[in-house]
Amino acid sequence: MNGLNLHKKLEENTGLLIFGILFVSAIGGLVQIIPSLNDESLSTPTVNTRVYDAVELTGRDIYIREGCHVCHSQQIRPLVAEVERYGPYSRAGEFAYDRPFLWGSKRTGPDLHRVGGKYTDIWHEVHLLNPRSVVPESIMPAYPWLFERTASQAGNIEKKMKALKTLGHPYTAEEIANASLALEGLREIDALVRYLQMLGSSYDENMDEIEMEGM
Amino acid sequence: MTQLTLIIALLKPNLAFQAIAQENSRAADILQKIVPLILLAPPIFIWLGSGLFGWRMGADEALFLDNTSRVIISFSYFFVLSMGFFSTVFLAHWMGVTYGADKPLRVYFALITVVYFPFLIASIAHLYPNAFINLLVLLPTLIWCITLLYKGLPIALEIPPERGMLMSSSLVGWLLVGVVSILGISVGLWTIGIGPAIAV
Amino acid sequence: MSQNGQEIYHDRVVTRLIQFSLVWVVVAMAVGVFLAAEFIWPGLDFGQFWLSFGRIRPLHTNGIIFGFGVSALMATGFYSVQRTSHIPLFMPKLAWFCCYAWQLVVLLGGLSLLAGWTSSKEYAEFEWPFDIAIAIIWVCFGIVFFGTIANRRIRPIYVSNWFYGGLIIVIAMLHIVNNLAIPVTIGKSYSLYAGAQDAVVQWWYGHNAVGFLLTGGFLGMMYYFLPKQSGQPIWSYRLSVVSFWAFTYSYIWAGPHHLHYNSIPEWVQSLAMVMSLILLAPSWASMINGIMTVSKAWEKLRTDPALKFIVMSLAFYGLATFEGPMMAIRSVNVVSHFTDWTIGHVHSGALGWNAMITYGTFYYLVPKLVGCELYSKKMANMHFWLALAGTMLYILSMWAAGVSQGLLWLSVDEFGQLSFSFREIMAAMSSYYGLRLIAGLIFFVGTLLMGWNLFMTMRGQKTIEVIPGPVAEKYRINSKPESADDHIGTGVPA
Repeated sequence: MNGLNLHKKLEENTGLLIFGILFVSAIGGLVQIIPSLNDESLSTPTVNTRVYDAVELTGRDIYIREGCHVCHSQQIRPLVAEVERYGPYSRAGEFAYDRPFLWGSKRTGPDLHRVGGKYTDIWHEVHLLNPRSVVPESIMPAYPWLFERTASQAGNIEKKMKALKTLGHPYTAEEIANASLALEGLREIDALVRYLQMLGSSYDENMDEIEMEGM
Repeated sequence: MTQLTLIIALLKPNLAFQAIAQENSRAADILQKIVPLILLAPPIFIWLGSGLFGWRMGADEALFLDNTSRVIISFSYFFVLSMGFFSTVFLAHWMGVTYGADKPLRVYFALITVVYFPFLIASIAHLYPNAFINLLVLLPTLIWCITLLYKGLPIALEIPPERGMLMSSSLVGWLLVGVVSILGISVGLWTIGIGPAIAV
Repeated sequence: MSQNGQEIYHDRVVTRLIQFSLVWVVVAMAVGVFLAAEFIWPGLDFGQFWLSFGRIRPLHTNGIIFGFGVSALMATGFYSVQRTSHIPLFMPKLAWFCCYAWQLVVLLGGLSLLAGWTSSKEYAEFEWPFDIAIAIIWVCFGIVFFGTIANRRIRPIYVSNWFYGGLIIVIAMLHIVNNLAIPVTIGKSYSLYAGAQDAVVQWWYGHNAVGFLLTGGFLGMMYYFLPKQSGQPIWSYRLSVVSFWAFTYSYIWAGPHHLHYNSIPEWVQSLAMVMSLILLAPSWASMINGIMTVSKAWEKLRTDPALKFIVMSLAFYGLATFEGPMMAIRSVNVVSHFTDWTIGHVHSGALGWNAMITYGTFYYLVPKLVGCELYSKKMANMHFWLALAGTMLYILSMWAAGVSQGLLWLSVDEFGQLSFSFREIMAAMSSYYGLRLIAGLIFFVGTLLMGWNLFMTMRGQKTIEVIPGPVAEKYRINSKPESADDHIGTGVPA
């Protein structure tokens, strides 16, 4: 009955109840999150992982704006069939510059983590304008408006890069100064396709070898 | 008499439920006796169908398995059906006390048999084991079975419909958990290499 | 205060919140049906960016969780905390502020999602201006709620209030930590966390938003309204104590099971899996407590369509809280992850549990609030069957779709080559998506019936004024407990 006696205090004192709930519910999160945030293997970029340039970053933010991540994952699990279908499995370090992460929770469409280079730029453009003209079974929506807006309309690129710089992304002052220039003359679709085409470029063969050695 | 009881159970379930409820009911006896038969039928349909037409999981090509695999699948199906059937009967019998029912076990057997009947008929669709066609036939059937359970349970057990509703809901809860467990167990077996070839 | 200066419960704000909740459930469910239709006719957005799937899917989820769910939780929380504390709301004006400010945030936030303002994190899509607004309103909600409890005239704090309290505190913690970000423009920010760490933080939030809002919050609803409607005390006080603390402690660990086989450390995944399995015990403890309570009061079902919904909701709650831990097992998750099985699982909880228990509560509460009979019991009974059939059809079709997807994606032939292309598998899903649309429509029609039914019940009526009832001697705030029974926070809430 001792436990219940203790509980009588909790259920008769508002402050204790609030504190009790906060304390009990915080433990699990602390045990998982604090070590994860301090785990350098999760935040150290792999050899070929680099920050997104002005165009890619714009493309990535369009990807987020249109909710591509709602139907496409960017996370290849270390399963034989999955590697065969999509390519080498994803490593934590490859996402070191992903704010936010876009791993997704549903694959209505295929995984895109290593989609870069699998199709031509033209294919992507046609596919995004009229998905069913290249994939008859597709149930992806069309995105005609991406062809009408300019990439520089998709947000203030300098401010974005500056914000990311404060978070530790190694952008040089020069890169930030030239960002607007890089977007000039591009449509939103161009930026998005550039982003899609660089997906997976963070992979290098050494990743597999290093892990083999480690075994 | 036997045939008549079965036809009544199929076409006029309410009459069947009333018949079951009577003391020393012949109907209950008859229904109880055919349990092994009705549990065997769907697996046999699957075995026949997968041999004749092959499996269609949705993707275009039909999948033809060798006879051993087909027998194993049919047998597992039989096992799962029996588990579902008997566990529901015994669970209902055990729970009945809580809900004020005082009936011998055979009444429960008969009750669940009548509830199961539409599924038995619909399982003819297994003869053509296309996953979607089967789903299309079986889903409404399952909903019909559940409706029969809700309607029939209080009649057969002679308890007030309100208590019947509570008891049926508990059984439906059990069945849902049972179905999802089967899903989980099969998926777990595939992952460790039993069943269809998947590469994980 | 009423006109003659007597203190009364602040129930008008409850009525208003229920009305908003009803509006949201109709809107957000209509969006859901539209989304289901887009799976079959992808051209349904007519090339309009604001009808595009990726933008309205978060509108559906946020509309249901925050519009419908939170409005309902605020309404029932305000209603029950007054009754269980025997005192009107603390700072009623602040309660009204919560009521309207919340609707404004969900409305504007919803529109901003259509405009493409999104943080992309599931159930936390709203961008930073809305995150700040939500945090402020949430704190106000906490002040009203805990202020009322602090002022209470009865010694024990009733069990439903623990769950509502857990909802308020834990969601505040999750919301603030997960949404930390550097703003760039009014509609764009960058998360403070990157990559794998962002994923761990997000699913700590995502899973527990489900845990403490959709499970815990609605359990609070159950712990008040179920004993109230059935006129029976909660079956076991001890079970409710144990289940509450075990639930609060263990739920929070389970988040990373959304990231099995993803690029996060294996120890985090394994820990989450084990804790998910443990979670089954406290989850089912509350279900058993609920079922046993209502089993003693079966006669009430005769006159009360509302109780039927609650009974059914407990069955689906049992299913969803069993299915969840099962899907958290790595060898099951390997097949179920990324498939429609997840969608089915969410809806067994959202339709079967959250919607049904709320519907049941509304059918009970609305006539009581306005002091007249429900407009049509027949309609409510019809709604029950529609809701049951819709939920079943939804779950079963998504099970079938999800298991096929998971199996076919991983299938290989005798040479170890993939058996099916992605597009073949995707094309094969269309029929299941068709069934899901039908299921959604059935459920939606039921919801519309309820909307009409409750609208007609409330039409032309005013919220009646209720005076706080007296507190039994042994429960008075300064009384000394004589026996163990006098402590208990359960019993039939007054």
